[in-house]
Amino acid sequence: MKSNKKFIIMISGVIAVVIFWIGWVSLNPADEKAMATFISVEDLINDNINKRTKLGGLVKGGSIVISKTNYLECTFTLKEGNTEIAVKYDRTRPDLFKDGAEVIVTGQYLNGTFYADELQTKCASRYEGDLRDESSYNLTEIDT
Amino acid sequence: MTPVAGGVALNLAFGFSILTVLTLSIYARNGDQRLFLTGQRLALGISFFVFLATFILTYQLIGSNFNIDYVARYTSLETPFIYKISALWAGQSGSLLFWLFILSIYSTITIIQNQSKHHGLMPWVIISLAIIQMFFLVLTNFVTNPFMPTDADFLVTNGNGLNPLLQNVTMAIHPPTLYLGYVGFSVPFAFAISALMNRDTSPLWIQSIRRWTLVAWLFLSMGIILGGWWAYQELGWGGYWAWDPVENASFMPWLTATAFLHSIIIQEKKDMLRIWNMVLIILTFTLCIFGTFLTRSGVVSSVHSFTASSLGPIFLTFVFLILVSSFGIMYTRRHELRSKRRMESFTSRESGFLFNNMVFVVMCFAVFWGTLFPVISEAVRGTKITVGPPFFNQINIPIGLILLTLTGIGPLLAWRKTGKQSLIRNFTFPILSGLIGSAIFLFFGLEGTVVISFSLCMFVTTTIFTEFFRGVRARTNKFNESIFTALRRMVSKNRSRYGGYVVHLGIVFMFVGFTGHAFDKEKEFSLKKGETEHVAGYEFQLINISEAERPNHYAWISELRVIDNKGRFITNLLPEKRIYFHKNPDVNRRQPHSELDIHSTLNKDIYAIFSAVDNENGIAFLKIMINPLVHWVWIGGYILIFGTLIALWPRKE
Repeated sequence: MKSNKKFIIMISGVIAVVIFWIGWVSLNPADEKAMATFISVEDLINDNINKRTKLGGLVKGGSIVISKTNYLECTFTLKEGNTEIAVKYDRTRPDLFKDGAEVIVTGQYLNGTFYADELQTKCASRYEGDLRDESSYNLTEIDT
Repeated sequence: MTPVAGGVALNLAFGFSILTVLTLSIYARNGDQRLFLTGQRLALGISFFVFLATFILTYQLIGSNFNIDYVARYTSLETPFIYKISALWAGQSGSLLFWLFILSIYSTITIIQNQSKHHGLMPWVIISLAIIQMFFLVLTNFVTNPFMPTDADFLVTNGNGLNPLLQNVTMAIHPPTLYLGYVGFSVPFAFAISALMNRDTSPLWIQSIRRWTLVAWLFLSMGIILGGWWAYQELGWGGYWAWDPVENASFMPWLTATAFLHSIIIQEKKDMLRIWNMVLIILTFTLCIFGTFLTRSGVVSSVHSFTASSLGPIFLTFVFLILVSSFGIMYTRRHELRSKRRMESFTSRESGFLFNNMVFVVMCFAVFWGTLFPVISEAVRGTKITVGPPFFNQINIPIGLILLTLTGIGPLLAWRKTGKQSLIRNFTFPILSGLIGSAIFLFFGLEGTVVISFSLCMFVTTTIFTEFFRGVRARTNKFNESIFTALRRMVSKNRSRYGGYVVHLGIVFMFVGFTGHAFDKEKEFSLKKGETEHVAGYEFQLINISEAERPNHYAWISELRVIDNKGRFITNLLPEKRIYFHKNPDVNRRQPHSELDIHSTLNKDIYAIFSAVDNENGIAFLKIMINPLVHWVWIGGYILIFGTLIALWPRKE
């Protein structure tokens, strides 16, 4: 019986340490890339937030400009609702990055430009067909 | 006409599931044998109709019947045969049917296998399985029906075709493997619930589900490893694990299931930890359903997500019902479950297992926390947060290393209590080997966690080999057998133990591979024909860019010659840039895809991605990664499978 008590104390101790550890890491992650806050483009510009953040939005049609000298360098306009922001990104672009694509960028805002070091394309059609509309089928119209 | 038959089969299966539950519930009250037999047959009927529906859908997929929405979405006339079949699990409704299909196979096997066994347990086992089937039948019948017709007044002449990312042989087998694992835990879960309902606390049911759990565990492990392998080969970010919510969703039940596999050994041998084992199997099954929920609800964003759908709340309700009812039943049976045995000492194998269990569950909790932290944070603080791999690594690396340590310590401890003498005797050699390892690694300039991890790997490997060595020596001395005979007989006498050790060895190999991640290097650059670039001591020369048109895509192939710093030729790499649906007049519907090329050796992988091509100037944009020791992860996977098969191999009667 006595030894059982010892076990319970030991186990509770371990659990307490672990919860503390997980909580601590959640609040003070060692790497700035561990967590990023999503904010709206509007808040970012209005409050001029220079912390590492994440933005989500659509690539404005025709806004992608690829540098003549370095193919990896590119700028585009990110649209979220009615607000727009210039984004600069100079790493390998994902295959699905194109006009109108839904993207998530991570990086920092500085003097009117968002310098992104991560760019993810979000693609609902990855596993599913596109949303249910006519253009999602390859179809030939026939008279009915 | 046939598609209608598919829908009807699903309707009938649903009806049968209701009848099964009703009949067997009445049987559980009045004990009329005829009802039991009827219930059993009804349960087989559910499975029969599910098989029928699955075969009909497969048949339609192969025959390209684009009048069915699902077929039009995931296949086209050009889709190769094998991917027409794999389209069965490529989409939402098909994959749910596929879940159900596997569950029905398992249910049928369970019923037939136990026709003359476990008479007390079987009714509730069948009821539990039928309820799970019923849940998936509700989904496929009423929420997302795979037999839904194309909702247009058009003649669909060709389908969408399967996503090119999914056109990969690994991807064709990864989901079924994972499903076989996920769904496999339904059976042990059903047995556990049944044991609770019957107030059956004998270790008997534990024995009967051990093999099931092991089979499910094997499939789940293989599914996870295959998924990583696919991501590594296909997705082109150079890694195999990203702590993505859906990866986590498969990892969490794996953790609790692994804990369960260890702790049922104690219940079998010592009749302890009854409550704990119940908790573990219930958690494992719930996490399997929860995983399916995470993938489909759109609650957390993930590369794996299906389109956000109405399934979320339904799944969450089911998860909630499972938890409440299981733990509710458990609570009412708490007195029967209490074990009379007690832990005797810290230095006993029981306590070793207990700590291993704790660490597994703690790790599961950490992963759970990280996965749901964005949701919690949004609910509590109103800010949207994403949690990245560094967070998971920071938390899980220490926990993983503790787990690795326990893998080495556990087998050296004796049941009940290990004496001081044998403690010293057992541990001297492995600890020595670990220390020598650290000295060597430090000498070669490694530091920090890497040294700890490699040294622990040495420690655990030594433990495993000492265990084998001791067992064999005992036999050669005692029975005068040759080494190989002794090894064979020793293993076949105690398959689960030695199979387990082999699995441990596989895990050690994987840890070596994980640790190699610390030395990853990458570089992005562009090359013209003939130009060279240096990455981590290798020289890459672009020999040529060629083009090719293939049946379902167009490809640019860049030929890279790789030379090491001593001027020796290593390999030619041929990464490709492909455009799928290249004939589609709508440019936006064409889909680019980078097909990478890997030169893999035991020491390191050279990983080449052809990210873009500039046709006018003949420039290739490339990304090269040097990933040390990745191959060890896959080898570890093979060893793990081999070890599990040893443990599973039927004993000679």
